[in-house]
This record gives sequence, C-alpha cells and structure tokens, in this order.
Amino acid sequence: MIEVTGLEKHYTVAEKEPGLSGSIRSFFSRKSKTVKAVDGVSFSIASGEMVGFLGANGAGKTTTLKMLSGLLHPTAGTATVAGFTPFERRASFLKTITLVMGQKQQLLWDLPALDSFQVNRAIYEISDADYAATMLEFTELLDLEGILKKQVRKLSLGERMKCELAAALLHRPKVLFLDEPTIGLDVNMQVRIREFVAAYNARFNATVILTSHYMADVTALCKRIIVVDKGRIIFDGDLSALIEQSSPAKIVKLQLESSVSREHLETYAPVQRLDGLFAELLVPRAETSRVSGRLLSELPVADVTIEDPDIEEIIGQLFQSQRVQPLPTLESVTQ
Amino acid sequence: MNPSLEPRTIGSLEQMWRKSKALFSVWFAHMTVYRAEILIWMLSGVVPLIMMSVWIGKAAASGGEIEGFTPASFAAYFLAAWVSQQLTVAWVAWEMDFQIRQGELSSRLLRPLDPFWEHFFRHFSERFVRGPFILIIVIAGSLIVPGTRLTPDLWHVLLYLLVINLAFAMRFLIAYCIGVLCFWLENATAFDEFFYVLLTFLAGGFAPLEFYPPAARAIIEWTPFPYLVYYPARVLTGALTAPEILHVIGVQLLWIAVFFVLRAVLWKAGLKRYGAVGA
Repeated sequence: MIEVTGLEKHYTVAEKEPGLSGSIRSFFSRKSKTVKAVDGVSFSIASGEMVGFLGANGAGKTTTLKMLSGLLHPTAGTATVAGFTPFERRASFLKTITLVMGQKQQLLWDLPALDSFQVNRAIYEISDADYAATMLEFTELLDLEGILKKQVRKLSLGERMKCELAAALLHRPKVLFLDEPTIGLDVNMQVRIREFVAAYNARFNATVILTSHYMADVTALCKRIIVVDKGRIIFDGDLSALIEQSSPAKIVKLQLESSVSREHLETYAPVQRLDGLFAELLVPRAETSRVSGRLLSELPVADVTIEDPDIEEIIGQLFQSQRVQPLPTLESVTQ
Repeated sequence: MNPSLEPRTIGSLEQMWRKSKALFSVWFAHMTVYRAEILIWMLSGVVPLIMMSVWIGKAAASGGEIEGFTPASFAAYFLAAWVSQQLTVAWVAWEMDFQIRQGELSSRLLRPLDPFWEHFFRHFSERFVRGPFILIIVIAGSLIVPGTRLTPDLWHVLLYLLVINLAFAMRFLIAYCIGVLCFWLENATAFDEFFYVLLTFLAGGFAPLEFYPPAARAIIEWTPFPYLVYYPARVLTGALTAPEILHVIGVQLLWIAVFFVLRAVLWKAGLKRYGAVGA
C-alpha cells in the first residue's frame, strides 16, 4: 500500500545571531543552511497494517507524513501511496487518504462541526446514503451526539478532536496518516480515540501510520514500529521483538514483608533498585519463572509483579546507542 | 492548477452545484457571525464619500459646475465609485499569506478541491452580508444631495452588474497573485498594502480621471486600476456610450486573462516550495 525508497527532504533555513547586532547583520547578509529533515528513508507498508512512527521532536516523522500525503515535494527519492505519487495531488489520491494533525484543525472555528462536515461531504462527493451511514457509525463510535451542533470554539479539546477525526474520515479513506492525534487529551479521551482508530482499521481494512508521544497509543495499536532519528530510520520491526532484543531481562518487582540485604538479593539476580521493603530485580527472560518461583518460596515476599522494561526507556537507549544493527530476529532495517 | 479546467475541480455539473451551494451557505453563515466587523471594515473605505463632499464644495464655489460635473453628478459619481470599491474588496492576499506562513494551507491542500474556490466563495458570500449596508448608505447619500440620480435606467444597472463582477474578478486575482508571493517572501501583505494605496489614488476614488493631468491619465489607462472603480462607476451613472462600455469589458477580460494565467503559474511553482511549516 505504501512504498518509500530513499526519500529525502532538505530545507533551507535562515540563520540569525541573537540580539540587535545579529538582526542588523542578517538584514544585509542573510546566512542560510540546509537541514536534512528526512535523509534517505525507505520502507514498505502492507494494506491494513498499522505502523507506529516514533522519534524525538524534529526527527523527521511529520515531514515524512507530509511527503506521503502530498503536502511536500520530496528533495529526492520516491514514494507511492495506494498506487499514486503523493505530490501530484490527484483528486482520486486525495480521496483515498487523510492526514490528521493533532495540533492543527480543519473545522471552521465559528460554526458548528456539522457545517464543516457538509462542506467535506460536497467536496469529497460523498453520496447521501454513504454520508448518512458514516455519520450514524461515527456518532456511535465517537459519541458525537449533542456536540455536532455546538460552535466548534465552544467545544472542549477532546470533543473537538473527536469532531476533527470524524471530519477527516468522513470520506472513508483507505490510508490514514495520524500525527499526534491524542496530543493534549486526557487518558479517557486518548483511549476513546485509540479504540476508534482500531475499530476503523478493522472495519475498513485501512492502512495507518501513527505518530505519538504517548507510547500507550503506539503499543495499543501498532505491532510494528519504525523509529527515526535525525531523518534516518534506526529501527523498523516488531515492537515485541525490539523489547526482547534490546532488553533481554524482565523486571521483577518485590514488595517484601521484612528487609532482605542487597547481597542476598544479588544471589538471585542483579538488583536494579532497593528501597526499604521494595526491590527491583533484572531477571533474564528465560529464567523469569524459575527465579520468581525461588524468590516466592525462599524470601518473605508480600507481593510480586513481573514487567517488561518501559518502552520509552528502550527507545531512549536506542537513540543513545546510535548504532542500531539490523537484528537477526527482526525485519531488515533500512539506513 | 488551472482552477476551472482542473479535472479535480469539476466532476459533473451536479457535483459543481453541490460544492458551490455548500461553500456558499457555510461561508455565508460564517460572514453573518462577523456582520458587525464587516460594517466597521466598510467604514475604512470611506475615501470616495469624503472626496464627494470636497468636490461638491468646489463645484458650488466655482459657480455650480467643474468640467461638466455638477454637485449632483459629483454625488452620483462618488456614490457609484464608493459602491464599486465596496463590491470589489478582496482580502485574499491576507488569507493566503496567513495560511502559507502558519501552515494552515495544509488542511486545505489535503482536500480534492483547489483552495481557490473556497477563497472565492468567502468573498462572494460576504458581498451578500455587505449588500444591505451598501444599499442603506447609497439611498441616504442620494437623499442628502438634491437632484442626485445614481443611474439613468435599468439597462445601466444590468451592464454595471456585469462590469462590476469582472472588476471583482480582476481585483480578486490580483490579490491572489500577491498572496501567493508568500511562498517566496516572509510576508506578502506589505505588497497588498502598497497595492491598496495605488488603488486609492489611481482607481478613481479620489477624483474622476477627467481631473488628472492628461499625461498621468494616459499612463493610468494602461494599468488595471481605472477598470476596478472608475469605469464601473461611469457605467453605472450612464456616462459611457455602448461602444465605450464594450471597450471597458474587453480590457477587463484581458486583465482577467493575464492575472488568471499568472496566478496559475505562481501557484504551481509556489506549491513546490511550500514548507508546510508548523502544520
């Protein structure tokens, strides 16, 4: 559904020294430099797949999505989405995709969302029957009852985002580019949006690329992740494989009934943290059940939980290491 | 990116009608929210009305007539010039500038419709909110100066409707070209301000072109300005003969063609440069 080969986007950015003297100097001679926002990215996404796009701010995620949705002309490389070249912006291409930007809005601020829906309905040439069916479905899935006739500026952020999503998906696109769709929303609303995206994907077999700062969005929706850093892909593969591979240990958290010395705990597994009656041990995956069995029978344990390490931490380590090798158990990594 | 020939713009006549209807009704609703602001904005275009009193005063002082203009014909001309100016207002340069710099253009570019049409319907629907206010001021103005007849007959009104719509198309396309410059510049509104100053002095809102030095008038005639206000005002007041009106329409169409092509070229080239900043 999406094929990307050697995609690049370079920007020319004007540079100015701070302060008055800097302003005067830049008035006469403006310096500029070229920034490689996306620097040779290649990947392929199958129809119906949901892929998480991760990376720090400025890593090139949004620029890639903008190129895939036809807003930006790539500096080099090729991209095909649903058989179209995005930047040609053909009507049939635009009717196939959508781009939702959590920080931007398309709804008309001073009018009810329903008015914006009417405009999209006409522009996308949606038939009356399709429109009615989609509205019925979305109203139920997103709980839109009662908010569609309110002025957009009077809606809460969460309500507005639900309307934004509905407006962006009214034409039932097959490819969804979701850029931070849950930014600024409370946890309940995040869950709601996630569930909606999952339901939409299941219902229409839509292909989804999602970027989010909330790791929970990605873990809940995407099996596969692509991690970008400084315009390059540093990881492309299964989320679970990444966790296993980058972190060969599980975290066993113990709530003890009486204190146990660090030395004694170290005889079971390396201790990551010991804080009074609370301890965290890093236990190799293969030995998790054996070691926890021993811990439970041999130590005064009140409670035990076994967890995977925090994904954000793993991703963080990935950025720091900078030398991510294609791991044998994963899909190939494109540099 | 030719807006009327692009296959994406026109599916079928029915689809075109549906799109026009949806865009008109939603932007009309939007403009009615801002009706008070529109009224205040109208007051900023008051130059012809001020000039009207100046010229009427001058005519009265010099024995009731200057260059064939009586107080009543000055009143008719300046009222017509004011109406023409009101009906050709275009702020699309500001909108384009804002959308390009803030990245708001992105959400418009994602739709299978050239943003040109949305801008057009914003202006078109706004005229219907502005219309009633214009009518009130024209009636009041005609009553204040005795003997004022804005237009001789219905025919001139009909011809005026054609000429003023062409004038609007010119002004809209010029403003669009200025706005699109923002793909290259940090800010394009300065150009629109400059254009507005030229418009005020050269389009006929200050004085009928008869009062400009012949050499200046000869130059002005080669610019689009008199075709935006002066000639439409002369058509409405019945001052032009049929061949003269035909000539005005011909020149207007020529200017429209020039700016239409220019907009298309600038738009296509500009989109390649679009950085989709912040969006």
